[in-house]
This record gives sequence, structure tokens and C-alpha cells, in this order.
Amino acid sequence: MKAPVSWIREFAAVPFDPRQVGSRLAACGFEVASIEGDVVDVEVTANRPDCLSVYGLAREAATAFDVDLKPVPGADAAAVPIVSGGRGSAPVPVSLGDTGCGRYALAVADVRVASSPAWLADRLTAAGVRPINNVVDVTNYVMLEIGQPMHAFDVAKLGGPEIRVRRARAGESLVTLDNQSRPLDETMLVIADHDRAVALAGVMGGAATEVADETTRIAIESAWFLPASVRATSRKLGLKTEASARFERGADITAPVRALRRALVLLEQIGAGRPAGGIVDVYPRPADPRHVALRRARVTRLLGDAVPDRDVQRILTRLGFTPAAGADGWNVQVPLFRVDVQREADLIEEVGRHWGFDRIPPTFPPLRSRPRLVSRAVVRDRRLRAILCGAGWQEAATFTFMEEEAAAAFLPEGEAPVAIANPLSEKFAVLRPSLLPGLLDALVYNRRREAEDVRLFEIGATFRKSGESSHAGWVATGPRWGHWSGQGGAVDFFDAKGAAELVGQAFGVVLTAAPARDLPWFVPGRTATLTCASADGAVDVGTVGQIRRELVARRGLTQPDAVVGGELALAALERAAGSSSWRITPLPRHPSIVRDLSILVDERLPAAEVRGTIRANAPSTLVSVREFDRYHGAGVPAGQISLSVRLTFRDPDRTLTDGEVQQAVDAIVAALATGVGATLRSK
Amino acid sequence: MSSIEDLRAAFASALAAARTPADLKGVRDEYLSRKQGHVTALLKAVGAAAPDERKALGAAANALRLEIETALDARETDLARSAPPPDAVDVTLPGRIAQTGRRHPLTQVRERVEDIFLAMGYQIIDGPELEDDWHNFEALNMPPEHPARDMQDTLYLAQPLPPLAGGRPATLLRTHTSGMQIRYMEANAPPVRIIAPGRVYRHDNFDATHTPMFTQVEGLVVDEGVSLGDLKGTLNAFAQQFFDADVKTRFRPSFFPYTEPSAELDVECQNCAGKGCALCKQSGWIEVLGCGMVHPAVFEAVGYDSEKYTGFAFGVGIERLALRLYGIDDIRMFYENDLRFLNQVAL
Repeated sequence: MKAPVSWIREFAAVPFDPRQVGSRLAACGFEVASIEGDVVDVEVTANRPDCLSVYGLAREAATAFDVDLKPVPGADAAAVPIVSGGRGSAPVPVSLGDTGCGRYALAVADVRVASSPAWLADRLTAAGVRPINNVVDVTNYVMLEIGQPMHAFDVAKLGGPEIRVRRARAGESLVTLDNQSRPLDETMLVIADHDRAVALAGVMGGAATEVADETTRIAIESAWFLPASVRATSRKLGLKTEASARFERGADITAPVRALRRALVLLEQIGAGRPAGGIVDVYPRPADPRHVALRRARVTRLLGDAVPDRDVQRILTRLGFTPAAGADGWNVQVPLFRVDVQREADLIEEVGRHWGFDRIPPTFPPLRSRPRLVSRAVVRDRRLRAILCGAGWQEAATFTFMEEEAAAAFLPEGEAPVAIANPLSEKFAVLRPSLLPGLLDALVYNRRREAEDVRLFEIGATFRKSGESSHAGWVATGPRWGHWSGQGGAVDFFDAKGAAELVGQAFGVVLTAAPARDLPWFVPGRTATLTCASADGAVDVGTVGQIRRELVARRGLTQPDAVVGGELALAALERAAGSSSWRITPLPRHPSIVRDLSILVDERLPAAEVRGTIRANAPSTLVSVREFDRYHGAGVPAGQISLSVRLTFRDPDRTLTDGEVQQAVDAIVAALATGVGATLRSK
Repeated sequence: MSSIEDLRAAFASALAAARTPADLKGVRDEYLSRKQGHVTALLKAVGAAAPDERKALGAAANALRLEIETALDARETDLARSAPPPDAVDVTLPGRIAQTGRRHPLTQVRERVEDIFLAMGYQIIDGPELEDDWHNFEALNMPPEHPARDMQDTLYLAQPLPPLAGGRPATLLRTHTSGMQIRYMEANAPPVRIIAPGRVYRHDNFDATHTPMFTQVEGLVVDEGVSLGDLKGTLNAFAQQFFDADVKTRFRPSFFPYTEPSAELDVECQNCAGKGCALCKQSGWIEVLGCGMVHPAVFEAVGYDSEKYTGFAFGVGIERLALRLYGIDDIRMFYENDLRFLNQVAL
């Protein structure tokens, strides 16, 4: 709301300096957007429609500076009588056919349309409203001054002439002042003449009855419309106006007649016209002001500061309230223009605002109960971030929504992503079904900007038809290790799998990988599903793999390097980890014996089978099996590989002998030969 | 005699320039070699000198030879002592560091905010990003058609989804993390002292100062006798710990449907020391967070006794704090994930 200080000063003797006025208005809740010359532009919060007017701001400023406020202009101009709205007595009869209009006042005037005098046009311009002609300018001036939106019709263009307030009819339409044809429906309140809709109630007038140069008689509407009704119509038509902004937040139901009188006075003052007949005021159920009890003790309790009674009374009275003092506090009558003040806390805010938040001494709430533990998910995510960062993965933050194509590529065939009903654009149409598409796009972005090795992860929510869940996801590409002493090769499947295993370790669980099918975003043969053992058997916790090249290319990157990634469901991991224990076992007191085995097996044989065969045929003294080399090439027959495993034996209670370990190894070798067709490559 | 002094001076600079045993051998040869050494030549020249000068010249030349030999030997010992052993490494080459990543700047700022409140005894809670209308709006004193809903233009789901935490189906992307606080109050009696961090969503443009998705940390304290003074003390303490101990703050009345009274906390613009600049739009102040005393209607919605209990709530925008902290002016940088940007934040 742009308010020239000179205009405010017509109602309250505040300082001339707009900076001084602005800073006091800011201190009582009206943030200053800018000050230009004499004009203070303040932001009026949604709860204060009364301050979408110079007079409303003058009331706030008068309270802040503790000066008197002059009466509302036009209020005492009783020269124009009120007449009945019925046929015969009123020049333009008014009938109210809907509760969406709580009050409808109308005045008729004979006018000579011309441009406004400079002072009036300048004020409108300063307040950000374009001058049009003297008639329209007067209605806008009154709206800016006291907040009451008004509309002038050309009586010659009104059918009847009469005014009917009613719901629009199905199929009805209206060309509004902006020359747009608006289709109407039965939920919308309109102002109609004898034949058709001539204005959208509380939103915008119609072009057909617009005041123009040839207009000689006008009917000025000054009404009160139900906020929800105006709001619904404005939203449905996507049409926001100065009038709708005021009505939908709640206009002052006592203002319409006062506003008309002010307008008629102004029309005469600038020589634009004279009233013809009285003011019609249809106001079927006059509103009663609300009364709210304000307890002195409650003011102190909520603000944390005792405001003296005389200040409470001064502030409320200056703001237009009528406080009646009682034993514990006040019974406060709330003026009808304060639609926002409904209960005690609202009054305490009024007192606090003008007492000054900055005067209230800062204190601390006592800690009266034991602090509770931090959410497990928060602790978990913090740990995972630290672990993954430490392992060389960079944390990313990607958007939760994305274009449909990017999301669909990471869903099983036949499943659609979760769609947003009112997306900002196609780029933000659906919710991410997985962290991988967003991470892939971030990887592509970096790869196209000179980054060679990119390793990104993210922890966050993903969305499927079954609902929302928390995941950790990661992607990588490029060289693995860049040091002058040697290169570590390019990132491959096992880097992605390693990240999964690391996260598994963080949860204290062991992940089991099995070749995956039905993950169309991963390269077949280079993807795995990950499960882990839990009390209810093996549970699926995630997937890992190499992302298909055509998918990477579709996101804008063609490169020979593999792009790998993986994702783990954190809630599933947490459930599986539920039983895992962090108790520390005593350290072994006896030495272990290590044996390395190199065997030749079929190259398609999964290492898990070799491991399984070893474990199944070993004594309980075998404490670990670890693959440490896998080789094919010279010396290994075609179709086979040489796999080297390290076996560690240990007994908690005694020192093992070479003989018994050798016996165990021999048994394992024999089992490998019969079980998986392995031959010993070397001793 | 001047040639002796010249030779001495020349030797001194040659010796000073010798850095390796090979250099030193070169110097030794140049001066003492039997065939071409400068000193050898000098000694030979003594015989050819005039008889009356011969003795003095001879003594001076011999003294120089001794001096040079001593100096060369001393330097040789020095060099030998400081020579690297044969298995020495080049310590000037870069070390082998395990590659590490960094936490995202928004994570770092969020955790910093969380930690300040953790230290004041707050519990961190978490909750769903998809919400139902009750938890996002109605319980927060925003019934349907409430004009304040315009302040938080909402992204809705095309189809309702099953809720994460049970209860009503999710229909929208949460516009604030207040829904978590409602859930918490529905499940726990006062006193309450929590913060609720997370992503929130608005139907907003995507430009240098707006994103349709951003990060919030909201806080809530409920107990008997909690006052606006307590809110001021707590949030001042937060601002002082986040910015610096001397930062100036002010509380400006504002409006939120779920608090009454409502306020915004500004800190003095550090860019211009409160004098007014482009960054603070000439006001001298930077808006940091919104806050207020919990509206009694919110307590009534969750079944708390609004006569007995009072409380305060606040909401901090993490992106805004991060822009301030890192001295950047385009919020989109946080979501581009450009490694050249991410690699500049603390490890």
C-alpha cells in the first residue's frame, strides 16, 4: 500500500519525514518496502484489510505517535438523505437476492465526465493508481482513502435502470472492464440490471455499462460482499483486483454509506457532478460489534512484560477499540473494520505491537522436563552423510520433482510416477521415484563442465504409488584415483556396490547381492538386488548397477566411461538392523592360521557359490573367507578363471596345529572339486 | 699481489654457488687441478717472479692454496652430511589423501542451526514431506478458504497417496514443517521443546531469490508460562550463536495464522553495518525468521488446554541463512550441484 505522508497528515499530525513515519509503521507491523519522495510503500499483512487505506495507516501512525485521529471524511456529511431502495422512491432501485452481499448502497449523480484536477490525479498516481476520468478517479480516491471499493455504472446503459444482486446463471458470461469475456457459473455473485449481469460482484465491473465521455448520469455502487464469495470468484477466474483484494480479506461493513457521501462531496468539490436523489442503503441484517474480554494477567503472561493499564487503554482506544475497564481487565468492543480481532490473543497482539516488542525483556523458558532423544532418522542420516563423505562421495541436493520422462526411466515397466496436480512446469511435473534420476542429471551437469571423476550421493525422500520413503542413493563415473604414483582405473560396478556395503556396515548388517532382473535402467548382467537377513528372513533393501548408456545419453552425456549407481531403502535397512548388536567380543587369545587357495573355476560361477561351498565344508574354526584375486589370461584355460581366497582359522580356546588346519583345507579342496568343479591351481 | 686477491674473491663466489658434490669437484678442479688449476698456475708463476718479490708471493700463494683446500674440505663434509640418503623420497610431491566428499552447504547450515537448538535442550523430530490438509493447514488455524492460504501457494498431488505415518491420505506437498509439530503435539503432552527440519514446497517461481522447494527448521516450545520474552531470549541467543555475539536484532510485528502475536526477527545488515545498502534494500536490516506465540486455536486443534499452556514457534529458512553465510546471491546454486561450488564449502 503506497501512502503519501501528506495524505496521512490530513488525518493525523504525524511528522513530515516519510522515513520517520515509515520506521514507526515498520515497528508496529507494517514492513516498509520502499520510500520514494513523500510516499511510504508498506506491506500490509493478509489479516489487515483495514490498512489497505490511507485512513487505516493513519490510524496506526496516530497510535504509534500518540496523536489524535480526525474523523473519517464524509461521515458527517448528512446532506444527502437515505432513501428506500424500492421502486418509486429510488432513481435506480436495488434488490438483494443473495446472502453473498451483506450490504448494498447506491447513489446516483449527474455528472460531466472530464479529466480530474491535477491534485487528485497526482495523488492517485503517487498511490500507484492510473487516473482515468473524474468519475472513476473519485471512486478510486475514496477506495484508497478509506478502503471501500466502489464502482460507477453509466445509468443510461443499465437495463431498467435497476440493480439486482444475484448468482450468475449457467451459460451467462460478462465482458469485464479489461475487455475479457468471462464465462460465469452459478457459484459466482454478479451485479445485474434488469436483463443481464453488468459486474462481477466485488471483483470487476462490466465493459457494457462503463462510464465514458458521453455519460451524464452515474450510479455509484458501494457494497459489502462475503469474503469467501469474492475470493472463490476471483480465484476461479484468475482475476485479482484492488477491489477483490479488499473484499476477500474482509471490508468494513459500516463503510459503504460513508464512502458514498465522501464520493459525492468530492464530485461536487471538483465540479464533476451533483447528487440526484438520496442514497439507497440495503442492509438487511446490520452487524453488531464483537466484544472480547482482555485479562490483565493474560497480557503479562503472554508478553512476559507488565504493560501499565493506562497504556493498554491508550493503545486500544487510539486503534478504535472501546475498552470498558473491569476488575481483572477490560471488556473490549471491537470495531467492525477489525475483522482480524476475534479473541483475547488478538487484543494482546494489538497491545504488544504498540507497546513495542523491543521493550519486552528477553528471558529463557525453563527446562522443566528431561530433554528427549533426537529422532532416530536424523541421527541415522547424519551418520550416513559423514561416512559417505569420508569414503569420497560428495553430497548433492537435487530437486524432489522432475520431468516425467526422467522419472519414468527409473521405474519398473508399467508403473507411473506420482504426479503433481498443479506443477509449476513440465520440468517439475512428478515426484522423484528414486534418487538416481536427479543424481544422474547432476553427474551429467558436472561431467559437461570439466569434472572428470564425479561421485555424488544424496539422502532423502522418494515417492511411489505406495507412498513416501527415505533412501540413500549414489552415482559415480570417471577415474577412480588420481595420484602421481599411479592411476586407480575407471569407476565400475564394484565402486557402486562398495558404497552399498559401506552403508550396510554403518547399519551393522551384511548385504547379499544377487543378479537383478527387471531393473530396466541398469545394464543387464551388471546389476544386483541387495538383500539382508532379518528376523523375518531376507528383506530387499536396494539395488546397485551400471546405468544403461542410452539412458545416460538421453540425459545429455555420451562418453565411454561407465556410470554406476545404487540406492538403499533406509527404513528397510533399519528394520533389518534392529537385532544387530554392537556389543564387543573379547579379543582372541590364540593365534590364527592363514591359508591362501588359488582355484580354477568356470568363469560364470558366482564367487558366492565358492564361498558357500567353503563355509559348508569347513570346521567352526574357519573365521573368515575373503577373495583377494581374480585372474584370467595366460596360464588359465579359456572359459575359466583363477580365484584366490584367503582362509583364516582360529579357535578361541587353544592354538590350532598345522596338521588339523591342513586337514580342514584338504576337505575344503575336495568339496570344491566335487561341488563346483574347482581344481587347485597351486599350493 | 692483486691477482691473488682476485683469485680469492673468485673462489669465494664459486664456492658459494656450489650446491652438489659434483659442483664442488668442478670448483676443486678449477683451482687445484695439477694441470689447469688457477692456484697451481699461480704457484708455477712464483718461480718467474722478480727475486725480491718471490718470497712474499710464494708465501701468499701457499697461504691461498691452504685456505682453498680447507674451505673445499669443509664444504665437502657439509655436503656429505646434508646429502639425501639413496632411498630418500621427494617430499615435495603431493601426499596420497583418501578422496573425501563434503556435506552439502545446505546440510552444513541446517546442522549448524540444529546444533544450536540441540544445545538448548531441543529434540529434533522428523516427519513426512507429503501431508494431509489437516496437518498442513486446518490444525494450524487455516480452515479451507482462509485467505492466508494464499501466502503459501500449495502444490497438490494429482492422486492422494497412503500416508507415511498413518492417518489421513496425503494430498499435498507440505508448505512448512509445522505439520510435524501438530503430529508431535497430537501424540505427546506438554512440555514440548522441539525443532522440525526438512524440505518444504511452494508453488513459487524458480529464480535467483525463489525456489519451489526449500529447507526449513521450525521450532516449538510449549509449557506453562512461556512468554514472548522467552521467544525473544531464545531467538536472540540463536542469532548471536549463528552470526556473532554482538549482532544487533529486532523483533518486528508480523502476521501468521498460527501465531498471535506474530513477529519477524531481523538482524542488522552486516554488509553495511545497518547504514542501508542494496543487500538490505536500504533498511539496514535483514529478515532472518518468522516467529510468534502459538495461536490458541492451534492448541485447541491438538487438544491442549490453551488457558493452561502457552508457547512460541519459529521458522528459519536455511537457504536464506546460507546465502548470507556464503556471501552469494543466487539461491539456484544450491541445487545445481556444481562440484566447483560444492568443493568450496568446509570439509
